[in-house]
Amino acid sequence: MINLSRRAMLAGAAATAFAPLATTSARAAAPASGAQAPSFYRYKVGSFECTSIADGARSFPMPDGFVKNVPKDQALAAAEAAYMPKGMVTVPFNPQVINTGSKIVLIDTGNGPVPNAPVGKLIPNMIAAGIDPKAVDLVVISHLHPDHANGIRTADGGLAFPNAEIMVPTQDWAFWMNDENMAKAQDNVMMKNYFANTRKVFDGLHDKVTKYDWGKNVAPGITAIEAAGHTPGHTAFAVASGNGRILVQSDVTNIPELFLRNPDWHVAFDVDPDMAAKTRHKFYDMAATEKATVVGFHFAFPSIGHVEKDGAGYRLVPVAWNPVL
Amino acid sequence: MNALNRRAVLTGAVAAGAALAGTSLTAPLARAAAPAAGAQAPGFYRYKVGSIEITVVTDGVNRLPVTDEFVLNAKKEEVNAALAEAFMEPGVFVGPYNPIVMNTGSKLVVVDTGTSEAAYKASKGQTGQFLTNLAAAGIDANAIDTVIISHYHGDHINGLLRADGSLAFPNAEILVPALEHTYWTDDGEMSRSPTKRIADNFKNVHRVMGNAEVLRRLRTYAWDKEVIAGVTAVGTPGHTPGHTSHVVSSGAAKVYVQADVTHAPFLFARHPGWHAFYDHEPVQAEATRRKVYDMLSAERMTVQGFHYPFPSVAHVEKTAAGYREIPMPWNPLI
Repeated sequence: MINLSRRAMLAGAAATAFAPLATTSARAAAPASGAQAPSFYRYKVGSFECTSIADGARSFPMPDGFVKNVPKDQALAAAEAAYMPKGMVTVPFNPQVINTGSKIVLIDTGNGPVPNAPVGKLIPNMIAAGIDPKAVDLVVISHLHPDHANGIRTADGGLAFPNAEIMVPTQDWAFWMNDENMAKAQDNVMMKNYFANTRKVFDGLHDKVTKYDWGKNVAPGITAIEAAGHTPGHTAFAVASGNGRILVQSDVTNIPELFLRNPDWHVAFDVDPDMAAKTRHKFYDMAATEKATVVGFHFAFPSIGHVEKDGAGYRLVPVAWNPVL
Repeated sequence: MNALNRRAVLTGAVAAGAALAGTSLTAPLARAAAPAAGAQAPGFYRYKVGSIEITVVTDGVNRLPVTDEFVLNAKKEEVNAALAEAFMEPGVFVGPYNPIVMNTGSKLVVVDTGTSEAAYKASKGQTGQFLTNLAAAGIDANAIDTVIISHYHGDHINGLLRADGSLAFPNAEILVPALEHTYWTDDGEMSRSPTKRIADNFKNVHRVMGNAEVLRRLRTYAWDKEVIAGVTAVGTPGHTPGHTSHVVSSGAAKVYVQADVTHAPFLFARHPGWHAFYDHEPVQAEATRRKVYDMLSAERMTVQGFHYPFPSVAHVEKTAAGYREIPMPWNPLI
């Protein structure tokens, strides 16, 4: 019996290759979906309902200097040991929404609208999760890098979360908005671009952003934790409700496959790599000892795990997906 | 300052100060807080193996208390210690179920069917989610051309039938491992059931696979042959006598659909010598497990595991004591 599938005919494939053992009716094969599931995931922290939302992931050939203080071969070997495609590195981006019961808080906003890119998907995934961007009360930015801050804007330059207060770390704002710092960075292309981007994204918002300080609550149950080094004002967060507690590490490590396994490696994006490494050790010694649940912006979606010590470094143990909340 | 919050009002937990909420300094508008969604994301995930599109469709998780009988050759204290090492709650084994759907371009194929619609009702949606998540993934159960069964345990076959006893995939042929079918439909074997658990499984097989509509669509397949184009059956006996894994390949890409070579990896890949109570022939199951996992780790092959946490696709590496699964990073765009 020959099953004349639409795909087989279109592709010109020999239909005889698909002779089935038994068919109840001759029907065309269903077309491939070609689309991923909406990438959001819910978890509870006490009474808070949290939603991890993928902004996307970038895969690219590992550039020279991606890890500044080890030979490229060594960095590539670590990526390959983590089953990344040979020569490549994948960096995911995962903002978090926290519904505290009285406020909807968004921590970091992703890359913003980028044409034809595998990133900038926060808004569609948020809508898929049933969260209206207009209902976000508070946007808390961990640091002013473009993959965290640019999502406050829509493609036409409007505000993506029009009813939200935008909070930025005092120290980071002071660093990136300082003209002398910008002048000093003009011979470093990456830093020069970061300075320019920060000013573009926050243009017209200087009087509207709220600056927050370390050691204080940015919202009830959400505390800003000093985690400087990656940027001067880089901030992690503790989210606590009832008996639940998580640490939102922001960029204490970039991708864990490289920089949690090797906490002394310096990712190209660190402003002060030595301080960042010191912060990383301190943060992860604490997280490992406490068996804390850690959410990492650059962990693979849904970007939640625990951390175990392993020799001189750490290993991320992703949480098992809970299909029933 | 108290924000006026619809949930608080609904639950009667209105604080006395709520009337002041409209005076919030920071809120540009006085709005009620959005209610919690209270539901998980739909449990499906897509990836490609060459030109084949695979959709992992979760059937949910089962929560089982850990007893000394859970692992035949390990005390519950050892099992609980392993759960703690995996940062999981001691005392409770959370076992996931993850069937897959393959679109080969010419056929839409389900591999294993989950615990069934009846289980969905009985468990209030904790298990038996396959049909609801399948619908969420945009896949019509009536469009399924083929169901491939790995072995005859209830969590793999029961989903063939709906709660009313009708076929869940009415247009599908049902392909089953020949050895497995022979064993579980043999009255002599049934009469020699060594345990109540195995006797009960014989009865369940009679109920599901003996259903006239199932039988009408049923064909057996042999090991080491293609079940359908691109899918080869590999004998991995021990868990059950005819337990079968499947190698799915397209172009240069391959995935090893292991079924139950291990149950949940955070216990049974880490401790390949542990004999879960589900294993029919535990010594043979262990030998199979070590052989398959040595191969998977040596060849760096992708494995799809029915009882791996969703989306249940991973690589496997050898450790001093056993193996460790490295989940594939979620790809937000297929």
